[in-house]
Amino acid sequence: MFSVPRTRLPRAALAVGLIALPFGAAFAQQQGGSDIKFTDTRLKNGLRIIVAEDNVAPVFSIAVSYNAGSRDERKGRTGFAHLFEHMMFKGSENVGPGEHFTLIFNNGGNMNGTTNKDRTLYYETLPTNQLDLGLYLEADRMRSLAITKDNLANQINAVQEERRLGVDNQPYGKTFEAVDSLAYSNFAYQHSVIGSMADLSAASVDDVAAFFKTYYAPNNAVIAIVGDVKTSEVLAKARKYFESIPSQPAPPAVDMSEPMQTAEKRMEMESQLARLTRIDIMYLTPPSDSDDESALTVLATVLGGGRSGRFYEQVVRQQELATSATASKGESRGPGLFRLGITVAPGKSAADVEQAVYLEIEKVKQSGVADWEVEKARSNARRGIVASLQNSLQRAVLLSEYALFYNEPGRINQRAQRINAVTAADVQRVANKYLTTTNRSVIVTTPKPAAGRGGE
Amino acid sequence: MRRASVVRLIVLAVTPFALAVANAQQAPPTTQAVVLKGRAPVSDKVLGVKLPRPREGTLANGVHLIVLEDHRAPQVTFSLQIPGAGGYFDPAGQTGLATVTAAMMREGTTTRTTVQISEQLETMAAGLSVNTGTSSLNATVSGSALTEHVDKLFDMAADLLLHPTFPEEEFVKYRQRSLAGLNQQRSNPGFLAQELWSKVMFGDHPAGRISMTSASLGAFTREQLVEFHKTRYVPDNAVIAMSGDITYAAAQKLVESRLGTWAKTGTPMPMASDPAAAGPGKVYLVDRPNSVQTNFMVGVQAISRTDPDYNVMELMNAVVGGGPTGRLFTHLREEKGYTYGAYSGLQAESFKGTWFAQTDVRSEVTEPALTDLMEELRLIRDVPVSSKELQDKKRSLVASFALSLESPQRVLNYYVTSWTYKLPADYWDKYPARVMGVTSKQVQAAANKYLDPSKVQIIAVGDGKQVAAALGKFGPLETYDTEGKKITAIVP
Repeated sequence: MFSVPRTRLPRAALAVGLIALPFGAAFAQQQGGSDIKFTDTRLKNGLRIIVAEDNVAPVFSIAVSYNAGSRDERKGRTGFAHLFEHMMFKGSENVGPGEHFTLIFNNGGNMNGTTNKDRTLYYETLPTNQLDLGLYLEADRMRSLAITKDNLANQINAVQEERRLGVDNQPYGKTFEAVDSLAYSNFAYQHSVIGSMADLSAASVDDVAAFFKTYYAPNNAVIAIVGDVKTSEVLAKARKYFESIPSQPAPPAVDMSEPMQTAEKRMEMESQLARLTRIDIMYLTPPSDSDDESALTVLATVLGGGRSGRFYEQVVRQQELATSATASKGESRGPGLFRLGITVAPGKSAADVEQAVYLEIEKVKQSGVADWEVEKARSNARRGIVASLQNSLQRAVLLSEYALFYNEPGRINQRAQRINAVTAADVQRVANKYLTTTNRSVIVTTPKPAAGRGGE
Repeated sequence: MRRASVVRLIVLAVTPFALAVANAQQAPPTTQAVVLKGRAPVSDKVLGVKLPRPREGTLANGVHLIVLEDHRAPQVTFSLQIPGAGGYFDPAGQTGLATVTAAMMREGTTTRTTVQISEQLETMAAGLSVNTGTSSLNATVSGSALTEHVDKLFDMAADLLLHPTFPEEEFVKYRQRSLAGLNQQRSNPGFLAQELWSKVMFGDHPAGRISMTSASLGAFTREQLVEFHKTRYVPDNAVIAMSGDITYAAAQKLVESRLGTWAKTGTPMPMASDPAAAGPGKVYLVDRPNSVQTNFMVGVQAISRTDPDYNVMELMNAVVGGGPTGRLFTHLREEKGYTYGAYSGLQAESFKGTWFAQTDVRSEVTEPALTDLMEELRLIRDVPVSSKELQDKKRSLVASFALSLESPQRVLNYYVTSWTYKLPADYWDKYPARVMGVTSKQVQAAANKYLDPSKVQIIAVGDGKQVAAALGKFGPLETYDTEGKKITAIVP
């Protein structure tokens, strides 16, 4: 919904050296000792409420995951789920436009909304005495969103600026959009979350009303509340605020089927704003609830994790062909992508760099991986889980998403064991299975100097 | 909500450059941005929060140790600050020497190669880095690990700190990688805005540069790095802050056993000086062809962290642009739809820093957006903040303390700030009372003192052929290219 200022100016943050090190490139966390205990309750209207108590700090977090992402959009309305998210801050029956975030911040809390392909997430963290406030605000907009033409026009403008800021005015911005459009064949995942300018402009008040009715029904959402609360009190208040919101027929199922890829797909792009060539490589993978997910996560760490990852050590440090090279495996309800991103060093040929990356993949396929490389992924998982113990919001988000995506909030307690179960042989097997020539899409983006301006 | 738009239009003519400013032409329909219905149940209580106190002590070699014990999660985080080793102390003409020295300390020690350092750290999923900024007084060695790995992590930290070898081969490689980064960052409009902003605000002061250049990087020698490390990485004024699953006694033992040989040199605490005044207000444009937005930074030199006006300025900043409830966000985004975000910031360190407003707007609304932004500066000077608005901001600052209790690192940071700026021991205990005591009069006085219209500098990064004419209406215009060179005309 908004992003904190980029320009904060603590100068240390500006240190040079474009070493992209997505340490937790892969999605992997787990807790140190005992499991996170939670209750899982369904209200009469189908709203699912998950509560996890702890007394770490006088604070709690609410995460509301709606089963509505860009995958639910239709052709001609790309970007709509995210635009709708913005409308959720423009008021409801008992809450004025902007009042939601004003009340949260004025009372010392924090909040935001965020949309991806699979869901729309709203969250707030508040001091423990503001439980009623948090639940009331979420319930009022679930019940009675206020939709006006002027508010919609205003937020279309804000979202179009978000697109300019994040895509159109950034080096490689359009490349990041092309990643999905090339790698996927099914419209659901093929189009971008931010959407096209034309589709955003076309959104109408009727679209907003229809989307609200279908997707923002209580039976299409999961709420997780984590922190310094009493479960019985949370459930009583949740019933009071939410239970009378009527349920709706389930939204239409989304066709997520992705045809098997039979040949490499390639695309060349130019960026007038970039200065170095960039290569993006995507391999199609199964949804994240597949048995191969954890091995793919470990593979991403082996190839792209930190400076000891194979890409950095070989392609960046030793061969000096690239200035950065990453690998990642993100969470995905539908068909996923194993993604590589490489920035080509000045003066090197993109084709050579691409071959060097494939050679590293080939080494894993032929000779497997070392025990310490697998250990690295296990440690990553443990560190992530330990860190989440000090972060009620992170736990709330995971509980609500795991419940929504897989009907299995208890996955939050399986994160370490899933990664620990992966063997070196598993990693080699999934590399051979998915990181193949015919299963990949490649985009090479080269800088294009502005015409007649003597270069940028 | 807080003020009728009629009032805004009438007073517009008093804005410094307003005489030449045409009113917003391409502005979309405005909406009433914030309406408070007041029906949501709010607890009036501000949760009384007592920050846990860390334990502190000074070791034999002069290192000050601050430990916040917290066993809720099995991990330990530390940060070692070394005053005098930061980029602030780069010798003239050698911008980046401190940055490069810090970065190269993890590229090899007497007992570990760069590859061994990476593998050992990452196998534990531990973090360890040496960093500084181009105007920081300090270099910082920071790290974190699971409790079971703390000894090993600290072994490595001590090794990087005391025994780096700055291997020539790795230095050549580091230079290659960094040169590409120096080139690449010039494609980022935010970088270009900050670069020129710093130059305009700080001139020749160390804070006037935010990055080394390919020329300065290319000229560094291994010997210069060795010398900088030898003379600047001394324990005399250093502080180590540790938080997490460790006791004070264990932390002390860890530091003394690993850093016992790090000997005192008698170096006095390095001091910073304030920058010279920034000169009369102008408009500075970085011409970035093909930009679809104009990125603005607008503001003034303001105060240091120890200035008596600090809390007042904190509140003034919160009112104008501290987050989505600030006036800039409300006005430029929620009413006008010019931008995705509009905020302000107060940057106060050991020397006089800046206050700035910043936003990114589509090129077509460059002029009306800047007009509105300047109007917010005028309003905070000319119109007293209502007691309700000020009260809301105070409450927000004080109540948000509770959230920091989730993380021992965040709590500890308060005390590191106290140490850095030599704040009184009860500074954070009295912080809520101090904030609550700030008056609307004080806020207005500070706005008039610091946001002097004749000193306000406007930095813009955008497509010159689309926006230069509009920007010229706000004051004398100076134009630069994306390499940072002053240019006299924009090529159409």
